[in-house]
Parts: sequence; structure tokens; C-alpha cells
Amino acid sequence: MIAAAAFYLFAAVLIAAAVMVVTSRNPVHSVLFLILAFFNAAALFLLAGAEFLAMILVIVYVGAVAVLFLFVVMMLDVDFAKLREGFQRYAPVGGVVGAILLLELLLVFGTWQFASDAAGFRLNPAPAGVDNTRALGRILYTDFVWLFQLSGLILLVAMIGAIVLTLRGKTSTKRQDIAKQVARSGSVNLRQPALGAGLGAIGIERPPVEPPPGEKPRQVEHAGHGHDHGHGGHH
Amino acid sequence: MPAMGMTTAMGDTTEMMAVGLGHYLTVSAILLTLGVLGIFLNRKNVIVILMSVELILLSVTLNLVAFSATLGDLTGQVFAMLILTVAAAEAAIGLAIVVIYFRNRGTIEVEEISTLKG
Amino acid sequence: MTQQMLAEYFPILVFLGIAAAIASAMVGGAMLVARQKPNPEKLSAYECGFEPFDDTRRRFDVRFYLVAILFIIFDLEVAFLFPWAVALGEIGWFGFLSMMGFLGVLTVGFVYEWRKGALDWE
Repeated sequence: MIAAAAFYLFAAVLIAAAVMVVTSRNPVHSVLFLILAFFNAAALFLLAGAEFLAMILVIVYVGAVAVLFLFVVMMLDVDFAKLREGFQRYAPVGGVVGAILLLELLLVFGTWQFASDAAGFRLNPAPAGVDNTRALGRILYTDFVWLFQLSGLILLVAMIGAIVLTLRGKTSTKRQDIAKQVARSGSVNLRQPALGAGLGAIGIERPPVEPPPGEKPRQVEHAGHGHDHGHGGHH
Repeated sequence: MPAMGMTTAMGDTTEMMAVGLGHYLTVSAILLTLGVLGIFLNRKNVIVILMSVELILLSVTLNLVAFSATLGDLTGQVFAMLILTVAAAEAAIGLAIVVIYFRNRGTIEVEEISTLKG
Repeated sequence: MTQQMLAEYFPILVFLGIAAAIASAMVGGAMLVARQKPNPEKLSAYECGFEPFDDTRRRFDVRFYLVAILFIIFDLEVAFLFPWAVALGEIGWFGFLSMMGFLGVLTVGFVYEWRKGALDWE
């Protein structure tokens, strides 16, 4: 039975990778094991017949979320050895809590069974002979329209939240608004002055160039001084 | 793991999967436990805590998919899709908070994040 | 039905096996055949160049991170488009308008990030 063998292989690798995610020393290794765990979970989805979710898991999780984690781990130059100081101290408490949780879950699984008429309560029975993606598409946008719009809103909130949180008000970027440039008028005028006309004829006046009295002798004195200096230098 | 009476009640849909529902639920339970354990073990490192949360959400998704396949009901897969969306948004916002916290304070230790504590 | 579906994925399993075999053959062959003469001088900086082995952890600009987040959001948006595109013929106008509403909400976010300058690069 090749499918059952594949299930046990993928499940074993998934659990081993999850163990390494929580116990590995280096967060970069944690992220890489998380990617491995996502891959194997995708394989398990595939074995359960959920093809579309398996592919989405690979595309979105391995392709984007894990890369984002890797990005943050690389971006923050934190002393990660220091962050693991309490590892030994917290291990017993975590172990006890985890063991109790697992025990309880296994107890629940051991005694639980489907109701005899569970098959009659199915909300959206999987249609036979239709592939998984098409069957999902038939119900996701019509029967679950509010859920679908809600996920759109969640994505919107995530987008706006990320921008608000990480984008500082650094407006050093200079943007070019071409429409504004083209529509601009008033500061640049085109005129056609008569040929040979002076500036005064078209209304441009020069600033008055009237040297104040007493300026001229000082200039001469300065020049003489400079000359003296130059002479001395030459000697 | 016992067969949980599934073969009698759901005899017509059991062959949807290569292995029984119990195997999937066991894997999912172990994954959930590992996620909880990871939160305890890495109490100081926010990034690994976020990864543990991802593991927990993955286990929930696995659970939903396993039930969906056993019962032949697509509703579970639709909700799994919603969980994936929420998990991605959670990772994005959580990591954004980590990044700006690190930029402001220079550390990501969880125990240092107590400024708001009265 | 599932068995038949899984049979379609069998080539991928074969591919994985072949890829693993080729990769391990390349790495293993390089380790077995290549001449290895380790020398501390090989690891030192050449003349006054920079160190060949250094800490890989450098601070990136936060803008890269912002682009990565926005990539995730739109990645999910596209993921929702796939079943819609496959089943559009069967879900009718209601399904079409439902997706238009979804896209409209995300377009609001897109306009917001455009106006905030989150996509600008200096």
C-alpha cells in the first residue's frame, strides 16, 4: 500500500521537523525546519484528497510566510544565544503541560466516535467526479459569501496594519507628478517682444545699480593694499 | 489507536483516505502539543513563539482537512482556507510588531515587553 | 477515487526521488573525488580585502519587509482567484459579484498603500 507508506513517511518527517522547530538552537534553522514541516503537511493534505489546499500551503506558506519569517530573523541582529537562557528552566513545566495536553487529546480520541447518522448532516457533500478546486469554487463564493468577504477584510486590515506599523513618516522620497507639472501655469509666461526692444520695453526692470558714495575710495585703497602684498610676496 | 467505530458508521466514505482518520488526528494532536511546548520552551524569543503559533494553526488545519475527507464534506476545507488566511495575516502583523519593537527598544525578549504594565 | 487521484501524483514522487538522487550524487561525488587541502591561509582575507567568512546577519532596510508583507497579502488574494476562475461558469453572476466585492476591498487597500508611498523606492 504505497499511499499508507507515504502517509507514515510524511507524518514522521512532519513531526520530526516540528520538534526541530521548537528545539533548534538557531532561529534560522527553526525557519528552515518550519518550511520542511509545511511541505510535509502539504503532502498529508494531498493524501487526504485536499489538492487545492495542499498547493496553497506550498505557495502561500513556503513561498511567502516562511520567507517572511526568514527575513525577520535575518533582519534583526539579536543575540539569539541570550534568548535561550531560560530553556532548561522552562523545559519541565512545558513538558508537563504538553504531556497532559497530549494525554487528554488521546483520551478524547480513544472514546469518541461518529454519530450513526453523521453522514446525513453533511452541509456540502463532496460531489463525485468533480476535482477538488472546482468543487471548492462552487461553494466558496456563493454559499460562504460572508466568510469570503470577511477574509477579504482580514487581508485589508493586515495590509493597512503593516503599513501603519512599519512605514515611518519619512517623506524624503521625491515624487514626480506629471499631471501637476503639465497643468502648471502662471509662473512661466511666454511673450513675444518686439525685435530690438530693450528690457524696459517689455516691463522687466533691472534693480538700480547705484553705488553708494564713499565706496570708490575704499576700493582703490583695497586694491593698493593688495598690490603691496603682492609686491612683498614677490620679494 | 482504535478504529473509533468509523468503519461501521461511515463505511461508504472511509475509502476516501489511504489511512484512517485516527492517524490524522494523532499527527494533529502531536503537532498541537509541540506547538504549545514550543511556546513554553522559547519563552523569550518572540519569533519562535510565532512559529509555534503557526504550528498550532497547521495542526488545526490538518484536523479540519482530515474530517472533511472522512465525511466527504467540503465545509472543512473552506474553513481551512479561512484559517490559512488568518494565519498569514497574523504572521504579517505579528512580525511587523516584532520589527518595530526591535527598532524602538533593541531587543525582542518577551519579558522586557512590560512597559504598559502598571 | 482518491487512489486514482493519488496515482496522478505518482510522477511527482518519482521526480522527488530522482532529484534527491541527483543532488546527493553531486554533493557526495564532490566530497569523495575533489582534492581537499585545507589551509588556514585559504580562509584569511586576501591582502586588504574584507573577510571571506563573516556574520551573515546584517540589518536590512525595513522597506524590504514591507514589500514582503504586501506580497503575502496579494499572494493570498491570487490564491482565492484560482477556484473562482475554475468554477466561474457554474456560480453565475452572484459568484462574479462576490469576487468583485472581495477585489474591491483589496483595491481600497492597494490605493491606500499607493497613496502612503509604501511602494516607493528611493
